[in-house]
Amino acid sequence: MSVESQLPAGFESLERFVPQWCIGRSCDRLQARLNSTARERADFFAAAKDIAPAALEMLDRKPSSDYTVQETRLMNLCLALAHIALAVEIQGPDEDHHAASAKYIAITRSAADR
Amino acid sequence: MTIQTDTFQPVAKEDLAFVGTEPVPALPYYDPHYFDLEVEAIFRKSWLQVAHVCELPEAGSFIVRELEFAHVSILITRNRNGDLRAFHNVCTHRGTQLVQERAGKRALFSCPYHKWTFSGDGELMSAPDFERFYIDKSDCNLVELPVDTCAGMIFVHLDPEPQMGLAEFIGPLAERLNTLTVARATSFSEYTYEVAANWKLTYDNFQENYHLRFIHPRSGEAAGGESNPFGYPSHYGFHGPHRTQTIWSNPDPAVKPFQLFAFAEGVKVSIKDGLDMSNRDYFGIFPNLFLLGNAVTPFSQCIYPISVDRTRSVIRLYWVGDDDKASRRFAQEYAMATALDIHSEDRAVIEAGHRGLRSGALRHIQFQSQEVLCRHLFNEVDARVQRYRAAQREGKQHEC
Ligand code: FES
Ligand SMILES: [Fe+2]
Repeated sequence: MSVESQLPAGFESLERFVPQWCIGRSCDRLQARLNSTARERADFFAAAKDIAPAALEMLDRKPSSDYTVQETRLMNLCLALAHIALAVEIQGPDEDHHAASAKYIAITRSAADR
Repeated sequence: MTIQTDTFQPVAKEDLAFVGTEPVPALPYYDPHYFDLEVEAIFRKSWLQVAHVCELPEAGSFIVRELEFAHVSILITRNRNGDLRAFHNVCTHRGTQLVQERAGKRALFSCPYHKWTFSGDGELMSAPDFERFYIDKSDCNLVELPVDTCAGMIFVHLDPEPQMGLAEFIGPLAERLNTLTVARATSFSEYTYEVAANWKLTYDNFQENYHLRFIHPRSGEAAGGESNPFGYPSHYGFHGPHRTQTIWSNPDPAVKPFQLFAFAEGVKVSIKDGLDMSNRDYFGIFPNLFLLGNAVTPFSQCIYPISVDRTRSVIRLYWVGDDDKASRRFAQEYAMATALDIHSEDRAVIEAGHRGLRSGALRHIQFQSQEVLCRHLFNEVDARVQRYRAAQREGKQHEC
């Protein structure tokens, strides 16, 4: 018997990122970005960036309130990717410098949180 | 399809000279005495944005806001008729702060100390053993403050009798504000941060693009282009104490692949919501608020002075649309994280500016023509401070 997969079928390649990047709240996603290493961020971004469009397209077929546990996890991975993409693709080598100031900012409300 | 030739010309310095060309005194940016005057002449005498109507969705909703510069806590309620009311969050018995929570829903507000209980209209409804007092209940209502809305934003005024109403204060700009997302927003994302710097230095950082390529070389890469390397705006407008600019539309922005995907998700959602995709306007509303009309990243920043050298910014991205679909949530998260990155890049340099000025090394600071909005803010601030000073000298109390 195989262990039940943590993500919807077709997204198995992202399973190994669930423990670190499947995060339910925006404020915690920011913290996860700031507390991660460059290698962890680069790994996640490289693996998720090309899959994210398909994930969002699949998830868009129903409201968030109807998600299965697996779909909720996939959504939360996509939301973490929003932060990590900025760290890897935009900040690049400047991310540490950026993080030193970002730690003073608190996300106090997020429309993306459900 | 015709390719437009990119021929950006920054607004000429001669055309902006009417706002002033002289160096600006440095002292007002760090002097505690000047700050005290600003509190009296400006922050106690202006409409201040503190909230949005979507925070009080139904009768009985309430929020509490702290205005540290005046040591004031404000309770805003929506009463049974759906009207907004604002009060000092202070029990009229012996002054105890009435409500401790930041927000909620409640018909009655009971003071923790001796249980005087008020309605959402501020009326004293009940008070234990009240016969032993020497007053009427009707003389014990909460102390009310003027409250009004513009484009969905809630403004309060610390003067019980403002010199002008909010509509007059905002003037014709209200019509343009009413076309923005904020005017019909049903939700928002919010983040806050404090800086060890004067409120004007904090505000000024968001009123000029001169620094973009140096402080935001990566996150701001798309803001500048070949013909406009500094990303200067294409237009400035001056509206009494308020000011506007039109953000330059870069014909060929340097955009990264995933950034482009995330932005396109935002565009998709915004088009579905019927937002104006062409809006590039920035609105600086006196004294301490600015908004961007951009549909994908529709953010506002309110800059609250805490003390002469401490300032809190509250940044909000306002949203319309009631579905909770994945692409909408993703676009909202990416837009918020994008704005947050830019704010974090600015933080250190704002504080460095305050440290440098506070040393007293400079008697004046310099503004170039493309820092005209910073100069305009100073002009408007200083005119009020000087009027207040003069009135004080003449012994008049209520002039401003
Ligand atoms: S101080 Fe509020 S009831 Fe006494
Ligand atoms: Fe900046």
